[in-house]
Amino acid sequence: MSAREDILTGLRAALAHSKPFPGAEPAAFQAVTRIDPGEDLVARFIAEVQRVKGEVHTAANDDEALDITKDLLTSHHVRRVVMWDEAHLPLRGVWALLERLGIERVYGDNASVAAAEAGITGADWALAATGTLVLSSGPGRPRMASLLPPLHIALLTEDRIIPRLEDYVAAQRAARFGVFRRSSNVTLITGSSRTSDIEMHPVFGVHGPLALHVVLIKNLD
Amino acid sequence: MKAESFEKIVDHALADRQLQVALDRGTTRGVNARLLAMSETTDAQALRHQARLARERALNQLPELLEQLERNIIANGGHVLWARDAAELNQHVLTICRQHNVRRVVKGKSMVTEETALNHALEQEGIDVVESDLGEYIIQLAGETPSHIVFPMLHKTKEATAQLLHDKLGMPLTDQPEAMTRFVRGVMRQKYLQADLGISGVNFAIAETGTIATVENEGNNRLSISAPPVHVAVMGLEKVIATWEDYAVLVQLLARSATGQRMTVYNNLISGPRRPDEPDGPEAFYLIILDNGRSRILASEYAESLACIRCGACLNACPVYQNIGGHAYGWVYPGPIGSIITPLLRGPLTAPKLPYASSLCGACQAACPVEINIPDMLLKLRRDLVQAGDPSLGWRLGMKGWAVAFKSPMLYRLGGRIAGWLTRVLARGKGHLRWLPPPFNGWTAHRDFPAFGTPSFRERYLRRFKGQPHDSKKP
Repeated sequence: MSAREDILTGLRAALAHSKPFPGAEPAAFQAVTRIDPGEDLVARFIAEVQRVKGEVHTAANDDEALDITKDLLTSHHVRRVVMWDEAHLPLRGVWALLERLGIERVYGDNASVAAAEAGITGADWALAATGTLVLSSGPGRPRMASLLPPLHIALLTEDRIIPRLEDYVAAQRAARFGVFRRSSNVTLITGSSRTSDIEMHPVFGVHGPLALHVVLIKNLD
Repeated sequence: MKAESFEKIVDHALADRQLQVALDRGTTRGVNARLLAMSETTDAQALRHQARLARERALNQLPELLEQLERNIIANGGHVLWARDAAELNQHVLTICRQHNVRRVVKGKSMVTEETALNHALEQEGIDVVESDLGEYIIQLAGETPSHIVFPMLHKTKEATAQLLHDKLGMPLTDQPEAMTRFVRGVMRQKYLQADLGISGVNFAIAETGTIATVENEGNNRLSISAPPVHVAVMGLEKVIATWEDYAVLVQLLARSATGQRMTVYNNLISGPRRPDEPDGPEAFYLIILDNGRSRILASEYAESLACIRCGACLNACPVYQNIGGHAYGWVYPGPIGSIITPLLRGPLTAPKLPYASSLCGACQAACPVEINIPDMLLKLRRDLVQAGDPSLGWRLGMKGWAVAFKSPMLYRLGGRIAGWLTRVLARGKGHLRWLPPPFNGWTAHRDFPAFGTPSFRERYLRRFKGQPHDSKKP
């Protein structure tokens, strides 16, 4: 018998006479993280990102968002960027901005991408309760942009902010989980990389980005 | 694990001042972080029960869920392999390495690969394996094994860590965890980019979409499974869950229980290899599902232990773990849950001391995010040991005598009086005894024995509740 048959047969035999947990009724569904009724989701998102050592820069419009992006790139002395295609960013003109600043956009294999000092991405959604960004991989959306460079800049509009992880799951169920067929990798990012391995003492900036900056753009009414 | 060596290992651990400092610092932080994080949820108790039910439903339908998981992963372009035991899992990985001409492997944290000693199997074939988690990497450099499920180098102080990095890699000495971390980041960068294959564990496998979920903070796991051209994920077969709603509650309770975070920094959700239109990610994805004794546990009265999500909260909370550390438990899984899993996976006689390495205080159960009744299973394991191990005549007679005395109020009262009188005489007014005769000298070898107080608890109880119901029935 193959290992597969062996194991499945063994499991079925184990469960044949009685289930180990006969009383396991379907769970009442309750969200984990507290959000107060009427709480401002944008303010909560900003506070939560700051709590996990990310920074949020609010922009009233696209021009302000471009200015903030420019300041971030120049203050970090960025010369090379790996970024999502503009079609997947909520902001036009980033590509032109890079050209004006003389910043090279790198593509291709990991070794080239590793030379980039910054990654620029959008985000599918943002979760207010935990300050989490949801990014899915896909054409024009490399995983490495939010992973390899020391600086991660995420561009986001306010209308992408939803309350909690449970709301993201409900939305995906309504969409029949298409994202998990299309994208080999969905990542939930909460703050910049950290470790507590040395005496459980928190240190920020480990193998992933050292710094996370969210540029949060107001939606036009 | 050598049975007779447990006491020696514990003696050694208790006398190791560095270990005691590291354990005090680490477990105290862990306990406090969990308490705070659980207290600020919508309803900690209701959520623990919800998480428990998610695990129970999954275990009730394990074969169906595993088949569904497999179907969905294959539909997404991945491969699924099954392993009956540790050797078969390691063999699968070696075969994959040969198929893809792999020389260099980078690994994210995985307790299952510790269970199968995969690194050793790969190294024997001349394959270079690097642990990428900061703690695991330092442990690997030191030639040691993890001592905690979540914080593998909990037994090491920052001073010892700095010395190790200085000796092995020439890092300038520092007592700043920040500086050490930044140094290791630099060392690891190239290793991700040069690796031919990345290995990760699995925290949850969501059957309904064929997605594996990993939980981490450093970004090492994400790099290990995104940068190399091949990704191999390994999981114990109990890791499968049915739905994304189950994932949502479990992953958040895992983070809050393990580190006190609301969410860990990276939650990686992998559904097969990179799609043809995607710009990066591994071209091949393999999931290996390991049994290694788990289906046997499912059929036993210990099925509950398979609900464990490996958060490590029971380790931090345990007064025994807090004092002896993880290595004393002798194998991969330490702490209260390890005292159950180790004898179940390896056979009760391989670890006969572990079920007794507990005061049954219940702190582990109170900390568990999926409400596992650890003390109850430890008691059952003790029963199994007695039935299987044929204890010595003295032990059996002692227990028989104990049972007789405790069943008879008259004998109990008499025994208490005699013991009280005897200890007070021997203590000669000092309130404690430095020495007791065999078989009680096991106690006084390590600490004084307090003389019985007077009046006794029983006498005080009777005096206080005289005339009330139950006054003479319940001493």
